[in-house]
Amino acid sequence: MRVTQGCFSFLPDLTDEQIAAQVQYCLDKGWAVNIEFTDDPHPRNTYWDMWGLPMFDLRDAAGIMKELADCRRVYGDRYIRISGFDSGHGWESVRISFIVNRPREEPGFRLDRSEAAGRNLRYATHSYAADRPEGERYADQ
Amino acid sequence: MNIQQSMTVRGKDRYKSGVMEYKRMGYWEPNYEPKDTDVIALFRVTPQDGVDPTEACAAVAGESSTATWTVVWTDRLTAAEKYRAKCYRVDPVPNSPGSYFAYIAYDLDLFEPGSISNLTASIIGNVFGFKPLKALRLEDMRLPVAYVKTFQGPATGIVVERERLDKFGRPLLGATVKPKLGLSGRNYGRVVYEALKGGLDFTKDDENINSQPFMHWRERFLYCMEAVNRAQAATGEIKGTYLNVTAATMEDMYERAEFAHELGSNIVMIDLVIGYTAIQSMAKWARKNDMILHLHRAGHSTYTRQRSHGVSFRLIAKWMRLAGVDHIHAGTVVGKLEGDPNTTRGYYDICREDFNPMQLEHGVFFDQNWASLNKLMPVASGGIHAGQMHQLLDLLGEDVVLQFGGGTIGHPRGIQAGATANRVALEAMILARNEGRDYVHEGPEILAKAAQTCTPLREALDVWKDVTFNYESTDAPDFVPTPSMAV
Amino acid sequence: MTQAQEQISETPLQTIDLRHEFADLGIGDVLDQLDSELIGLKPVKTRIREIASLLLVERIRQKMALATTFPTLHMSFTGNPGTGKTTVALRMAGILHKLGFVRRGHVISVTRDDLVGQYIGHTAPKTKEILKKAMGGVLFIDEAYYLYRPENERDYGQEAIEILLQIMEAQREDLVVILAGYGDRMEKFFQSNPGFRSRIAHHIDFPDYSDGELLWIAELMLQQQNYRFSPEAREAFTRYIGIRKEQPLFSNARSIRNALDRIRLRQANRIVAKLDRTLTADDVMSIEAGDVLASRVFAKGAGEGR
Repeated sequence: MRVTQGCFSFLPDLTDEQIAAQVQYCLDKGWAVNIEFTDDPHPRNTYWDMWGLPMFDLRDAAGIMKELADCRRVYGDRYIRISGFDSGHGWESVRISFIVNRPREEPGFRLDRSEAAGRNLRYATHSYAADRPEGERYADQ
Repeated sequence: MNIQQSMTVRGKDRYKSGVMEYKRMGYWEPNYEPKDTDVIALFRVTPQDGVDPTEACAAVAGESSTATWTVVWTDRLTAAEKYRAKCYRVDPVPNSPGSYFAYIAYDLDLFEPGSISNLTASIIGNVFGFKPLKALRLEDMRLPVAYVKTFQGPATGIVVERERLDKFGRPLLGATVKPKLGLSGRNYGRVVYEALKGGLDFTKDDENINSQPFMHWRERFLYCMEAVNRAQAATGEIKGTYLNVTAATMEDMYERAEFAHELGSNIVMIDLVIGYTAIQSMAKWARKNDMILHLHRAGHSTYTRQRSHGVSFRLIAKWMRLAGVDHIHAGTVVGKLEGDPNTTRGYYDICREDFNPMQLEHGVFFDQNWASLNKLMPVASGGIHAGQMHQLLDLLGEDVVLQFGGGTIGHPRGIQAGATANRVALEAMILARNEGRDYVHEGPEILAKAAQTCTPLREALDVWKDVTFNYESTDAPDFVPTPSMAV
Repeated sequence: MTQAQEQISETPLQTIDLRHEFADLGIGDVLDQLDSELIGLKPVKTRIREIASLLLVERIRQKMALATTFPTLHMSFTGNPGTGKTTVALRMAGILHKLGFVRRGHVISVTRDDLVGQYIGHTAPKTKEILKKAMGGVLFIDEAYYLYRPENERDYGQEAIEILLQIMEAQREDLVVILAGYGDRMEKFFQSNPGFRSRIAHHIDFPDYSDGELLWIAELMLQQQNYRFSPEAREAFTRYIGIRKEQPLFSNARSIRNALDRIRLRQANRIVAKLDRTLTADDVMSIEAGDVLASRVFAKGAGEGR
């Protein structure tokens, strides 16, 4: 399966040149750019690990692309996303977020159901990847 | 206007029994300077033939505040001058002989804090049936910060909604389940699953889907939540479906909303026809229960559409932002429903900005400060499809829900394909826009390029390429000539 | 991709109208600006023009598909303090930007302290942070030789040097590094760090200003602030320059600016000392010989002369 979180998951994987253009868009807007990675793409997993601090005050995407290359070298077997953060009043939040790296195989999620009173069901979304210990989740690849 | 001085009768004479002209009773005060805390309303007044325009406008001020048809001595038991609404400016409407814009200021003490019902009962109460007027329309209002601060505002707001859904940087995509009526709960859930799995963020109940013989509400809720959770697991993305909790009584609505909450839904919906009090109650409930609140503006066109009489939709948008809904249908410009581009721009600004500067060409007559009240997500729906993506993005911006009902479910290869086509078209357009391309003009090429790697999009573009709704708008701003836009 | 690179992907051009190309890019304006804002510095200006021409031709060659590699553009600016290195770096960034060899054209100016940390693990993030900020523009490292401290084997400067060298090679297209400092010390620095020397394409030497040029600079600075020397004061300041140049820590235009600041202070003191009078604009604009001659430089100079 393909996790479709983020802004461009329905398009073919972005090339580095396309990623750099999006990063430049963020920088031109004055947003801080953040690189994050995870081995558990559960839709409610908000806090992916940060690859260093969000990068403030940069002018050109090249510095971020270098960081992305470094991050891929270490965590190329995981999900990596880039986000742009706007500290302007009334936003003070993420303005764009997109996946820039995926594990070769994406095992996806299982939906667990448990029957409750009446016809109610309780649902839980379960990452297959999380069945394995942290750090070994895509180790075969 | 013609008369620029006060004609108000003062002292004892003001309260002599009998009938007196409104403009002599203190409802026409051309020298009055509105206070920062006044509510200001702008009416389009069309007096009956032979009625003096100033008197007509003063009458509107009077009838929407303290006046009755005759002088009453009990006025003297009150600080009557404070409570009188004051018409302070009357302008002829451009290109519209016989109609006048009346600016009327109301003291803040006339209104109950945090109550849309009270506000509207005053401003659009009896006065709209007043005989000396042929027609009357409320065009805009300036709500003072002091009053704005007495309202909760959107239960969730655009920023938190995006954070909860983990969706940033692009419009959200939705679809209304079709056919509107007749699907059983089980069949209905199928449509929801297909659309969400295919790539939409939301699906939506239509306004008149409540609890009917073909599908009672619990059936719908249960099957819809199965569909939402399945789609969420299939895509790793957060999904939602607007469960319509509109019902006959407040108790029924709470019951339905509680059930949606219990099932883990992140959004519920209500119709405008439930009334302002019910809407505010649901907004409070939504804030308390971490629920996004979608409002379908069912019925609004009965009073918003005609330029001469009723209430402009920009007021409905303002009131709903105060009342506290999170989503409101605000027009598409290019779709099948009424929507002049400039007027619609005005509605969208009212929903999304923290400050609206006066902009007559967008029909915004006053500066409006929203005092950091949450932002309200506009929803565009009705007759839109993937082939218009560049225009939609250009006209409506990024913080909007694009609802493709027929444009998803009517896809020749099925609902999932329809949803995928819409999502791919959207992502391709956002990518191009961010790359600095002139996406408005290159839109068709950008879509064609994206369709090379997405068959569903190619099919969608083929099927709907010629669909447009090109009719004259009935509600365009008065200050610039603007043709209806549909391409 | 830089503009210069983009051109490669298109069909190679056969002919190019040179004047048109030159005018289009607006390099002439930058060169003129450089001429007008910096006094003297003839050899520097000549070198800049040469480099600009070289890059213009390089750009044309790329358009004609005759050059395929990205040129090395890192530079070293050597010379004493106050000889205009920073200003020239700013103009150089403008030229590089206009020619499409850097994407944004900003200058990040740093010294050792901005790059080198105080403890283990501190240096790499600091250096990388600065490099990221400089991407798309020019990184100007003043007194670059302080990065290298041979007397301390465990100095963290070495770490910064290694990162710099790596980026200067691997990301030539993303930023241009200008190393600046005193000529002799830079020479030693390059000897101990041959990696730098091999990555520097252009060396520019900034000569000291002549006495006449320094006086000219002084008069220009005064004029900008609506002051002027009286004839006697001008004569005194000429002598001042002669003596000051021979003293330690002389830093050309910067020393002149500092001297003028102190002279203005003394002028103000002199004026305020006599309160009972009416002042004319002339009075407050004029610098008198006494304002100059009260400088310690003269006392010292006279002492040395004795």
